[in-house]
Amino acid sequence: MRRPIRTQNLGGARALILHRPHPTVQALARQLTAIGLDVEQVWSELPPAALGADFLFFDADMGHAGQFPWPEGEPPMPMIALVGSEAPGRIEWTLKAGAHAHLLKPVGDNGAYSALLIARAAFDAERALAAEVADLRHRLDERRTVVLAVARLAERGRSQAEAYAQLRQMAMAWRITFEEAAARIVGDSDHPEDGHDRRGRG
Amino acid sequence: MKRRIEIGLLYSRSGTYSLISEACRSGALAAMAMVNADPRLDVCLVPVERDPGGNVDLYGPLCGEILRDTGARHVVGCVTSWSRKEVIPTVEKFGGTLWYTVPYEGFEASDHVVYTHACPNQHLLPLLDWAMASRGRRAFLAASNYIWGWELNRLARETVTAAGGEVLGERYLPMGSVDVERMIAEVRFSRPDFILNSLIGPSSYAFMAAYRALGREDAHFRPERCPVLSCNMTECEFPALGENADGLVAAGPYFRGVPGWPGAGSFGSSHEASAFAAVRELARLLAHRPGAELASLTELLAGDTSRPGLIDPETHHTTLPVIIAEARGGAFHVLQHLGQVAGDPYLTRSRPAGAARPNLRIVS
Repeated sequence: MRRPIRTQNLGGARALILHRPHPTVQALARQLTAIGLDVEQVWSELPPAALGADFLFFDADMGHAGQFPWPEGEPPMPMIALVGSEAPGRIEWTLKAGAHAHLLKPVGDNGAYSALLIARAAFDAERALAAEVADLRHRLDERRTVVLAVARLAERGRSQAEAYAQLRQMAMAWRITFEEAAARIVGDSDHPEDGHDRRGRG
Repeated sequence: MKRRIEIGLLYSRSGTYSLISEACRSGALAAMAMVNADPRLDVCLVPVERDPGGNVDLYGPLCGEILRDTGARHVVGCVTSWSRKEVIPTVEKFGGTLWYTVPYEGFEASDHVVYTHACPNQHLLPLLDWAMASRGRRAFLAASNYIWGWELNRLARETVTAAGGEVLGERYLPMGSVDVERMIAEVRFSRPDFILNSLIGPSSYAFMAAYRALGREDAHFRPERCPVLSCNMTECEFPALGENADGLVAAGPYFRGVPGWPGAGSFGSSHEASAFAAVRELARLLAHRPGAELASLTELLAGDTSRPGLIDPETHHTTLPVIIAEARGGAFHVLQHLGQVAGDPYLTRSRPAGAARPNLRIVS
């Protein structure tokens, strides 16, 4: 389902730990430093520079809405929850915050590396999926345009199947999506010729 | 007056990898003897030994026995990665330290382990660089079926592919299995430029014997055309290999007779040298610091005033010579000496895997 994970570019990556000073932060920072990341601990506000971090570890116990300077559940980087209390309310909040992976507290000698890789893979997958959904949604929204474009092409004596095929060929010739081609045809409503003829003249 | 300090030794003196255990053990004991005889050091190291006999399930309990029932806080031991993973929770629980003195697959930096032998940026990556530059970029990967083989092969595949090469086959044998026929048949069929051998113990010995026989039948499979590479083969396994070792190209921090290794000794193998260096460094860290024998590894390193020591305080890995050598007539002969290279367990500090550049050819 997934491509091979990326393991090679963690060196020099920036990790923020949003947690009050605590032995768990020390243990986590030791692990992250050993792996090769630059680590910074902050509490309780995220500085603007947080937007440039490559990974965010956040306290799932004391964390609260409004700590993150981005729309809820849409973090711009992989997020790893530091979970102490496993109360369902806290887990619910952690998910709402957009956690991609988690580490149980107290953090000890290991776990950070797999959390980094899992969080990044989940974040990448989430990004790719969101882009695909946006594209599909856009194409759904353009259904009416496609119907109109096919109808317009069919006005000139073609069957609907021929008009549909012609629209597809136009999209391929112009190297744009089917929906964009349809929008052009519909946008050309003031001109009597279809796009293919116009292109031929131009 | 010397302080008497117990040091755990956890090596399997029987089982599939006992030759390696014995090499490590004798290196550790030699270092203890040297420390104990040195009047300038105020410590006397006393070995506390447990022998898991090659049974991976005994490592955790026996390590626990050492840390719980004796005064030892430091345990030198383990050969396979599997046994190391079994021991780590125990040293963590008791606040002890494992000194791990054999090559391994990297991607670990425990707070309770010191790694004194090579990790992939010190063995596999330079070895692949050498092979791809001198023999070609078509690889066959043969390994024992556990973490060492899996991870080495994953990294080899990534590196070879990134350099524009090709992996023609990747095969595994259960630990202890000598059933190498199918593997050899696939090697014969695929005709690679080199073979990465990450088999261990008897599997490796059987493979080397069968490959030598194949080379007698078909010149393509002689060492000068298609060598076998290894990241963990040292002189300590020559008794089991005999002339079948001839032509094997290995990467390691030391080969018998190569100068520059710390300490006075001329060691039989890098396994022996690495265990020796580990115990000597431990003695240096404990010497002239009464009470240091009870300190954690972190405290021990933090209190070491004569930096830089052997151990990187961030990763607990070591800087080692990187040497590529070829076995011939019962000894390794150096092909390349790449100088001192710091251990980079997560491959984040030095070069990325796959940094080996493809050999550019002029196409006219």
